[in-house]
Amino acid sequence: MSATFRFSCPLPNGLHARPATHLADTVGRFKATVSLVNERTGRSANARSVLGLVGTDTRRGDPCRIDLAGADEAEAKDALEAYVVTELPKHDAPLVTEPIRVGTVVLPRSLVAAGLKDFVAGQPACVGVAIGAAVIVGRFVVPTDGVVPRRGDVAAEQGAFDDAVRAVRADLERMIGQGKGTEASVLKAHLAVLHDPTLHEAVTAAIAAGETAAIAVARVGGGQRDLLAAADSAYVRERALDVDDVTAQLWAKLAGVETRQTVPALTVPTIVFAEQLTPSQFLALDRNHLRGLVLAHGGQTSHVIILARSFGIPTLTGVSDALAIGRKARTAILDANLGLAVGNPTAPVLQHYERERAKLERMAATARSARTTLAVTADGTRLEVAANIASVEETEAAFAEGAEGIGLFRTELLFARQSKAPSEDEQAALYSAVVRAACGRPVIIRTLDVGGDKPVPFLTFPAEANPFLGYRGVRFYAEQAALIKDQLRAILRAAAMGPVKILVPMIATVEEARLVRRLLAEAEAELRSRNLAPAQPVPLGFMLEVPSTAFILDELCAEADFFSLGTNDLAQYFSAADRENTAVAALNHPLQPAFLRLLQHIVDRVHARGRWIGLCGELGENAAALPLLVGLGLDEISLARPRIAATKHALRFLDRALCRELLLRVAGASTRAEATARLAAAPAKPAPMLVSQLVLDRLEVGSKAEAIRVMVDALHEFGRTTDPVAVETAVWAREDAYSTGFGDGFALPHAKTDALTANSIVVARFARPIEWSSLDGKPVDVAILLAIRASDHGKTHLETLARLSRLAMRDEFRDGLRRETDAAGIVKLLIAATATGT
Amino acid sequence: MNIVAITACPTGIAHTYMAAEKLEKTAKALGHKIKVETQGAMGIENELTAADIKAADAVLFAVDIEVEKRERFAGKKVVNVPVQQAIKDPAGVLAKLF
Repeated sequence: MSATFRFSCPLPNGLHARPATHLADTVGRFKATVSLVNERTGRSANARSVLGLVGTDTRRGDPCRIDLAGADEAEAKDALEAYVVTELPKHDAPLVTEPIRVGTVVLPRSLVAAGLKDFVAGQPACVGVAIGAAVIVGRFVVPTDGVVPRRGDVAAEQGAFDDAVRAVRADLERMIGQGKGTEASVLKAHLAVLHDPTLHEAVTAAIAAGETAAIAVARVGGGQRDLLAAADSAYVRERALDVDDVTAQLWAKLAGVETRQTVPALTVPTIVFAEQLTPSQFLALDRNHLRGLVLAHGGQTSHVIILARSFGIPTLTGVSDALAIGRKARTAILDANLGLAVGNPTAPVLQHYERERAKLERMAATARSARTTLAVTADGTRLEVAANIASVEETEAAFAEGAEGIGLFRTELLFARQSKAPSEDEQAALYSAVVRAACGRPVIIRTLDVGGDKPVPFLTFPAEANPFLGYRGVRFYAEQAALIKDQLRAILRAAAMGPVKILVPMIATVEEARLVRRLLAEAEAELRSRNLAPAQPVPLGFMLEVPSTAFILDELCAEADFFSLGTNDLAQYFSAADRENTAVAALNHPLQPAFLRLLQHIVDRVHARGRWIGLCGELGENAAALPLLVGLGLDEISLARPRIAATKHALRFLDRALCRELLLRVAGASTRAEATARLAAAPAKPAPMLVSQLVLDRLEVGSKAEAIRVMVDALHEFGRTTDPVAVETAVWAREDAYSTGFGDGFALPHAKTDALTANSIVVARFARPIEWSSLDGKPVDVAILLAIRASDHGKTHLETLARLSRLAMRDEFRDGLRRETDAAGIVKLLIAATATGT
Repeated sequence: MNIVAITACPTGIAHTYMAAEKLEKTAKALGHKIKVETQGAMGIENELTAADIKAADAVLFAVDIEVEKRERFAGKKVVNVPVQQAIKDPAGVLAKLF
């Protein structure tokens, strides 16, 4: 008796520790022997062994076979076959593939001017800048000799090993309980290594053959590590460090040594230099003081790097003489943006980096504040940013990330795993939990959206040739009225906890809309007879995903309180192209002009009727499309949790009116290529050229290099560029030709580069005039930086700059500028002076 | 004196116009008539016509790059200076014309 099934590995990043751990866990529920065979590599593994699974070196698309044998093999086969398709892909985590930067670092002029000569280059693994004391951490090597005395006979040694395993497990579980997401999953991976059957069997065998537990652990662990270190995949090789880590922890228990003793106590802001670090060593370092990491080894997928990233600790790797540098240096600077580290920096270099770090901290604080502030565009318009969730568990995390509401609660999962439909009471409890966790923020709950492709065990759907065009969503509500009304009543009951809205999928006709209205009215009546009716009517909305709705909006507005654009399906049905089908995916692209015009028509029409409209499709997560969504005038966008804070922050730099112009321009294109070109040619972050944040008054700088750097930093800080070094370089390219200080204490530095996301003007008034190599030899007290995009073809800004250049030649203008007392006054003066007609 | 001039700097966003402004101001102060064509990021503005050039007593190029439509000036004597000189010392530059 045996069972078997084949599948193709669905994981884009291969079967690495995280999904392997989850798979091993799932297999653990059954009694049968389960093996995974990778039919490409020929390697097979006990599917309960994470190390074994990882060792098969399984990559995306590899043909795999699962063999099962045992009492519950049939049940296990069914479950695992489904698991591999529905669950396993969810446990993938993207591996960062940053290109290896070869050697040379290009220093910005300001650093060259600060005299930076001695530095080492490395591969940035986590960006950021750090300044601190230099401390080295040595490698902890597990001794394979008899340092740890024999405890006793085989039984005693085995007992010692079992105790050590229990002790390490307790440590790991405690830390998992205390840690957050990434830390917990790295530690869980270590737990899996700790419990790995291959490891245990080998150690037990070694002890039985006469070795002490300590030596057995060291040797077996070393052997496992060597096995992994010999794999083809860089990813698998990185796992060797995890085995080292667990081996070291076990050995430390057997030797009575604290792991924390292998790292120094940190007492001041510190940059750690090391050959390599195990995750345990990293976690043992006091994070209150750890500011940066410089490593000789550690690839992009090593757990230490992953941990460093999750804690936001700037890290540089590939620095071969990291230890030597760390030994010689007392203080150090780590610039993991440029990719360099400096030991014992000089005062000017230190000052440069202190300024840089302060700027980055301000930017990080502003971005973080996006979580706790309401999303608002640069001109002050509100755009609600909400979260898409599929389970109650995701609610808290969504709000922690800054979601202003739940824009879409997909209820299918509640029904998918069940053998019968959840009762009204069960559903009411779940929905109420979400609404309660929302603490007064709106929650939109979508009624059952299932069909031939999203089956539900207790509902039989007809066999369909094309489920996407079949009996799905609202189409089966008439037949399953009782089921749907159970759900509606449950949602209505949850309304007692806070603001709730009901969203219905796949509406295509007015009849369907009226059917839902009727079902809702019946549900309300049923609750009223039980004295459970909500105090206020609960708003009812429709998903706009079937294109027919675009032409019956007036009638639908009569039946609906709001709408939500399901752009994934809407684009698919509208373009008649499957975005998973590479042959036609381009037709289903958001920049197809017809699609943009469709969205525009819908939003304009719905708003003309005074209704609210949001968007819950993946388009909401598309950063490049954000200005277009703002231009549409949507009331809300709802997206996956990871993108929420970044989206709220990005909105701050967008101007609603400019976004509207951009949308009209892009939607007015005839082809997708033209639309793409128009989107690229126009500033990605539409924003006014002259704003008070870009006026730097009483600036304390000592040199032209510093002044230009600080002015470019302002562009960076206020969202006008993500590559300040490129902008600084472009300004100097012009400055090197001949000085932009044209005399009378004024300078007009300028640059034309697409490293800018919006044309901008920065005005600086210096606390003390600085040497600028001006044409008249006099120092400069006012500089106006003109920064424009190279690929911009619009004339307005060029005219403004031309006017500004001419004005700068006039004494009355310069005197007027010097007389202004504050940033707002300067902006007003400049806007007025450069307006048409001057 | 009737002067025609062209200003043109490489990036075309500032110095082209600064030089134009300075030359216009200074020429007027010295009692001359001047028409300045700018060749900048927006292209050619205030273009010098055949009539302008014919009537001119002097032609000045305050440029760091090649002048566009140079054929217009065939047969005319042209004084060439760098753009920054026109900004730094417009009077001195104009003096070169006479």
